[in-house]
Formats: sequence, structure tokens, C-alpha cells
Amino acid sequence: MTTMSRECREIEPDLIAVATAEAPAAAARRVERHVESCASCRSELARYQTVDGLVTAYRDTRAPEADPTLARAQLESRLADLRSRVMRYGVFDSPLGPIAIGVSEHGVSMVEYVRQAERTGGRLARRTGEEAVEDPRRTEGLYRELADYLDGRRTRLDWPLDLRRTRSDFQRRVLEATAHLPYGAVTSYAGIARQIGAPRATRAVAQALRHNPLPIVVPCHRVIGSRGDLTGYAGTRIGLKRDLLAVEGIHTVAGRGDYHVDRRAVYYKYLDGGEYCLPTCGGILEKPLGEFTVFGSRARAEAVGLQPCSDCRPDLHPLPA
Amino acid sequence: MAEEAFETVVATHHAEIHRYLVRVTRRPGDADDLSQETFIRAFRAHASLTPGSNVRAWLFAIATNLCRNYWRSESRRRRAHEAAGETAAHHEEAGGEETMVMEQAGEEIGRIVAALPLRQRLAFTLRKVHELEYESIGRSLDCSPDTARAHVFQALRKIRRGLDAHAAMRTESTR
Repeated sequence: MTTMSRECREIEPDLIAVATAEAPAAAARRVERHVESCASCRSELARYQTVDGLVTAYRDTRAPEADPTLARAQLESRLADLRSRVMRYGVFDSPLGPIAIGVSEHGVSMVEYVRQAERTGGRLARRTGEEAVEDPRRTEGLYRELADYLDGRRTRLDWPLDLRRTRSDFQRRVLEATAHLPYGAVTSYAGIARQIGAPRATRAVAQALRHNPLPIVVPCHRVIGSRGDLTGYAGTRIGLKRDLLAVEGIHTVAGRGDYHVDRRAVYYKYLDGGEYCLPTCGGILEKPLGEFTVFGSRARAEAVGLQPCSDCRPDLHPLPA
Repeated sequence: MAEEAFETVVATHHAEIHRYLVRVTRRPGDADDLSQETFIRAFRAHASLTPGSNVRAWLFAIATNLCRNYWRSESRRRRAHEAAGETAAHHEEAGGEETMVMEQAGEEIGRIVAALPLRQRLAFTLRKVHELEYESIGRSLDCSPDTARAHVFQALRKIRRGLDAHAAMRTESTR
């Protein structure tokens, strides 16, 4: 009796497995042999088979008040809110060092130089009130374009931009004017101030560009000081500005702790003009840089549709390359 | 594009996850909240999900985890027991002659399941209602597939005993 009940105890889990159609073949055979000689386990098996049938009935009854419509609607609205605040980003090893690129549902919302070991997510989320989600797959296509740009194989980044992170309407106007500076051209902070109709706001323009959320894409590296000095970039990383300008064919000369564009080595276009001139044309060198957009080469000036000036004829007397 | 894919995830699985949560919490209001939370968490983590993963099992794992946190609060456990009692009382009043045996047994099972220890209840519901593999259930409950199976079997033993007691009581009362 005792030996038998131990055997029954041992076979009980298999019995349940057989009753619920989950038993492997060997266990099923074991149970089959056992119940042939054991009436009590035979009735146990039958009982569990009944239970299994009733469990199926339980499964098929509707859960009480299980109407998910309201929950679904609330979920959709929370997701919509979340989507509008989510930024998906990836960090990539660019020739300029690690760069984070972030996109929202409205467009590219962040380009940032990051330090080698920096985990950006938590910090970014705190700083901007956005939800930063690391998702390199979402941004790697953008990075490939950026890499081509940094290699000089691409001159435009036609990305939809999300400028909601701008601090003010003024900053937005500054960024938009800067975004229109052509590839291979520079102007000064005063030049941008003039373009947005605030000619005395040079310092404010510099400040707005200091907090550019989208460097490279909004090319603040093309905005320099009135004397041609590069002035500042990404904190103290003035070398990046020099490198970005060099890629676009604007060469700079090293000075004390800074670099400057040699005003005698570039072509000039008046802000409203349709022609490009030599630096020697009409006293250009005596005028402030803010009155011009300057180009590193004739090719870049002509790429935006400018004609050579009919007075100084830069096409006939080009600057030494 | 990840957003569009996630819309499909919601459309495909929300109703079932909600049903699961109603069953295990027995409080539709809490199930509403927990199902939302499940998908909000899933949305945040969706990008890091390996392509080709079993999204359904993954969602059940998130929902199950939330349930376990939810159930850690003692007061909620008590409320759920009260809710189970209310349902029982309500059905005794409404129970007419025509009520089918199967349906009654289904309700009785519902009461027994509500009184099960949490892990047994979750394992049982995941397996017997939503038919997940023991592998996935184990992942949801942080245990091996064998342990998940043991939870389900333990639940079946209790259901069987509970139904036997219920049947005995009914025989008594009709006598």
C-alpha cells in the first residue's frame, strides 16, 4: 500500500500532463501502464480531464467587463503625446569625433559633439525635457550622409529640421538665416544681424549661434568675426570650425589662439547682389565683412548662380588658388 | 517608421493584453492603467527589441512584471479578494435554474484562480488562457520553464480540489 502510493505520487505530475495534453510520449506511456493497474489513478486521470475541459470553458468566458475601448483610446492619446516628445538618437564616430544625431517626429532635432565616453541619453532627457531613446538604426542613414558631407562628397544636407528646441523667435530667425548660407561661403555675425533686419544685434546673433541645436546642418561654422577671425565654436573647439571650413574650400590662416580667413584670398558678394567680385574691387577691403557673403572659390560662387563682376572680372583675373 | 510598426503592435495585441490584465487583477480600472503602462513601456523599449523577437510573449512579460509590482501592495491584494467575493455573491443572486453547469464551473474556476498565489495565478493564466509556451512564461516570471510548469500544475491541483469541494457543497444543498 505504501509503495503503491509513492508510485502514485510520483506519477501524478505526468497524470496532469496527460490530462491537459502536455505530456511527452514517454510520460504518456508510463501513465497508460500505471492506470491499467491502479483504479484510483484512473479516476484521478478522468477527474483532471474533466478539470481540463472546465478550464477551457473558463478560458472561453469573457473576462468581466473586459471592454478595452477606453483604455485603448487613452493609450493612443498618451502615445501621441509621447511621440511628439520622443527624440531617437544614435552616437557615431565621425572624423570630427563622436557625434550624436537625434530625430523627432518633426525632423532632425539634435546634432551634438559628445565626449568619447559620454552616455548621452539621461543627460539629454534632463536638459531638454524630451524623451531621449537610443535608436541608432533610426539615424544611421543620416549619419552616412553626414559622413559623406564631412568627406566633401556631398555639399547639402537636405534634412527636415525640428527647430522646436530654439529658445526664442529671435534665435529661430538667426538659425534660419544661417541655414541659407551656401556651401563654401561665410559671412560675419554682423552679416546675419543685417539679414534678419536687426543690424545692431551682432552680439545677440553670436549668442544665438552659440546655442545652435543643430551644428553642421545649420552651418554656424560659416559665420565668423568681423575681422575674419573664426571667434569660437563648440565651446573651445575652434579647430573643428577650421576643419569644416577647409572641407568646403575656405582656407584659414593660423593666428594667436585662433584662425582667420585671409580677406585678400576670397571672393565677395554684396548681401543683395547677384555678382561676385575680387577683394580689390571698389574698396571692398575697407568695408565691414558684414556687408558681404564671401566665397572660397569661383566654383562655389557660380554654383549658387552668381555672375562674375563686370568691373573687376574675377573670371579673367582669378585669385591664385 | 518605427512609430508605424508600433501602431501595428498596439492594434494586434492591446485587446488580448487588456483581457489578461482584467483576469489577473479582477479590477477593470486597474487593468486599464496597467495595459496602458505595458504599451508605454513597450513603446520606449521597442527600438532596442531584436528584429524577429516574439513581440506577443515580450508584451506578456512586461504586463506580467507590472502585475507583480502592482500586487506587491498588500491593500490591493485585499481589494481584489473583496472583488472576488462580490462577484461570487452577485452570481448567487442572479443564478437561475437555466445557468449551465459549464458556466458555473467557469465562474468557480475564476474564484479559485483569484485566490491563488500570484505566481501560480500568472503562470496559469498565461498558459491556460493565453496559451504561451513555458519558455516565455518562465522569462516573464524570472524562473525556469520547469518551474513555470510546476506553478501551472499546482494551480490545476487547487482548481481540481476547489471544484470537488464546490460540487460536494452543491450536492449537500440540493439534498
